[in-house]
Amino acid sequence: MGRRVLIVDDAAFMRMILKDIVSKNGFEVAGEAGNGIEAVEKYRESKPDVVTMDITMPEMNGIEAIKKIREHDSSAKVIVCSAMGQQAMVIEAIQAGAKDFIVKPFQHSRVVEALNKVLG
Amino acid sequence: MSSEYEQYLSTFIDEAKEYMAILNEKMLLLEKEAGNMDAINEIFRAIHTLKGMSGTMGFENIGKLSHLMESIFELARNRKMVISSGLMDSLFDGVDSIGKMLEEVSSAGTDSATDCSQLINRYEDILQGKISSSPVSQEPKEQTRHTKETVHEQNPILDQKELNYDEIPFSIPEEIQHALSSAASQGYSPYYMQIQLDKGTVLKSARMYMVFHRLEELGSEVLFTVPSVEDIEDEKFDFDVDVLFPSRLPDEKLVKEIQSIAEVENVRIIKLTIDDRQKETDHKPILGGKTDQSLAESAKKPAQGKNGQSLVPTTITQTIRVDIEKLDTLMNLMAELVISRSRINETLKQHSIKQVDESLAQLSRITLDLQNIVMKIRMVPVSYVFNRFPRMVRDLARDSSKEINLLITGKETELDRTVVEEVGEPLVHLLRNSVDHGIESRDERLKKGKAPVGTIHLNAKHEGNNVVIEISDDGKGLDRNSILSKAIEKGLIDEIPALSLSDEEVYQFVFLPGFSTKSEVSTLSGRGVGMDVVKTGIENLNGNVTIESESGRGSKVTIRLPLTLAIIQALLIKVSGFVFAIPIASIDSTLTLPTTEIQVVQSREVIVIRGEIIPIIWLKELFNLSKEKKYSQIHVVIVKVGAKKHGFVVDTLLGQDDIVIKSMGKLMKDVREFSGAAILGDGSIALILEVGAICYQDRS
Repeated sequence: MGRRVLIVDDAAFMRMILKDIVSKNGFEVAGEAGNGIEAVEKYRESKPDVVTMDITMPEMNGIEAIKKIREHDSSAKVIVCSAMGQQAMVIEAIQAGAKDFIVKPFQHSRVVEALNKVLG
Repeated sequence: MSSEYEQYLSTFIDEAKEYMAILNEKMLLLEKEAGNMDAINEIFRAIHTLKGMSGTMGFENIGKLSHLMESIFELARNRKMVISSGLMDSLFDGVDSIGKMLEEVSSAGTDSATDCSQLINRYEDILQGKISSSPVSQEPKEQTRHTKETVHEQNPILDQKELNYDEIPFSIPEEIQHALSSAASQGYSPYYMQIQLDKGTVLKSARMYMVFHRLEELGSEVLFTVPSVEDIEDEKFDFDVDVLFPSRLPDEKLVKEIQSIAEVENVRIIKLTIDDRQKETDHKPILGGKTDQSLAESAKKPAQGKNGQSLVPTTITQTIRVDIEKLDTLMNLMAELVISRSRINETLKQHSIKQVDESLAQLSRITLDLQNIVMKIRMVPVSYVFNRFPRMVRDLARDSSKEINLLITGKETELDRTVVEEVGEPLVHLLRNSVDHGIESRDERLKKGKAPVGTIHLNAKHEGNNVVIEISDDGKGLDRNSILSKAIEKGLIDEIPALSLSDEEVYQFVFLPGFSTKSEVSTLSGRGVGMDVVKTGIENLNGNVTIESESGRGSKVTIRLPLTLAIIQALLIKVSGFVFAIPIASIDSTLTLPTTEIQVVQSREVIVIRGEIIPIIWLKELFNLSKEKKYSQIHVVIVKVGAKKHGFVVDTLLGQDDIVIKSMGKLMKDVREFSGAAILGDGSIALILEVGAICYQDRS
């Protein structure tokens, strides 16, 4: 059974790319969300195995969303998606409980590696 | 250069120059204090960053040279090589070559024109231990370990089972040793781990943070890292990090855990053995049975004390680089805003509307704040130019076999970036003059009973709206008589009036173009080489230069510069219906006198103020506006050029205002009496008086 990934990013384009990568590599897309609030809701509904979380988003940013999700489910596995130069944000996200990070522009192999490593 | 990076070229050059300045500064320090570890570390970091930067940009020559220099400093840093004075000289050559290549990069976009193969060969020889001036440590196996990269590729030390402290390729601070020892006595094993990240890793410091985070989750506090935590935060490392930490877990488990982090390419771990002597001494303080928690804390302290901070995101400082042209545009817009505000002010003088008055007052305040900030943004410390002088003076002194101590003070004084850049050349001239002709040779100085080592003092300070830069030396000073005879010979002045000139007026002659050329250097104590260039350079910046000198004791050149070029405070005056602006910076005072106070001394009109004789200039006469002088009283603006005062007679004093200097364009460049023009609040134009030129003209 394919493991299920929730994709969170405010840019539909980025979600498209990630969905593409995820589904081509044997994972299943559990759902997608365009901001932190939606992400928290979708997480509760779909109970994915892993979340890819953009950091900079409207309404609620990725770091807040990670905290909210982990309050709800302390075993939640989140991978942050960051841009170059967002070092500080990434560190904050890891402190908030993110398991790994991937950097845009995405390298397919890195995304897959991160998903596999986080899912053990 | 790879074309995709072309857009980063100017940033690259700017930043590379900063690193060059650090290199020069620290190399000089190292020369003075051989073995200064801080200096060596800083040099290593700077050269390492330069290497990385130029590599990214595709400048292979710079990259190659800096790589070799880095390797040398890497050895020095690990106390595997002593930097002798001979080696120091060839390292200076290397810094110069890199500087030269950077110049080429900024002018031609390539670094391939310079041939540095000789230097490269020399450095390679040094690194292979062929050159005896740089003894490498006794252990022969160490010689092959030039760089960090090779350490990790070969990993000779990690083939062993356990390692003693002193076998680690870097020195562990004592407090860390203590922390590790005390951890060991609590059942922890001290570990030395080498972590290598994947070569394609982006956000390396966040990745390393994950490693540290994982170690913490596993109950281990990272006590020491090479490179330091700060460098890791700033991404100042390649892909390798060495860490020391205590842990209760077996080494295989630790390796497996860290290896499971993405982008971690390679992990090696080895247990450290504890020096027995240390074990004993460290047993005592912890006999009371510390808990794990307090152990973790005590272990944490030295790590933080050493590294200053932990990997908390807030410590990353934020600056951005901005193209100076954008700042110029911002300044221009600011200037337009100031003009508009003045115009509104002017209009409202006629129609006062209360509500508008209030918001206008606020607008004025905001414009003022904004103006200040824009000016501050453009400010850079004078160290920007001063930093290259120690090196220059060192080289000049060596060439002329003199001993000179250059003292620099006030280098944090800030000046407009454009002014700072322009002031560099004149300062080079002046320092050269001091070294070449001011300071005497050691023997000569001893004969005169002076200290054998000459001193040149370069000082910068704020003075009102000006920045003053002084260059003083304790050399032989200017020779009044030879300057005067030269001036008389050149027909610049007749013999009789020449006698009545003050010293300062005599010294002004050396600023005249062509007054002295290189062939006449010796007759004039060598002064005057390019002094007219200095003067023009400084005057173009709306500044002025004066010389003071005491024969046999030395001389002092004072440069006075405005803080900024664009907006100045000026006194507006009216002469025969025309409005002119006089920069406040050059005004001493204003006064109103009865006409009867005017006296004539040596066929020149003067006034006497508090015992001081001040020549007066009727501006209307000077500008050929009118010859009318029948007044019962006159308004005089006393201006100051250096220590010399003049009185400008004007019709009306209108008041003080911020004005924006606009150039009058190339066609008017020979008009010396005006430095520019300003648009006033009512839209009319006022010419800005060039006080120095007017007074100077009056004198000659």
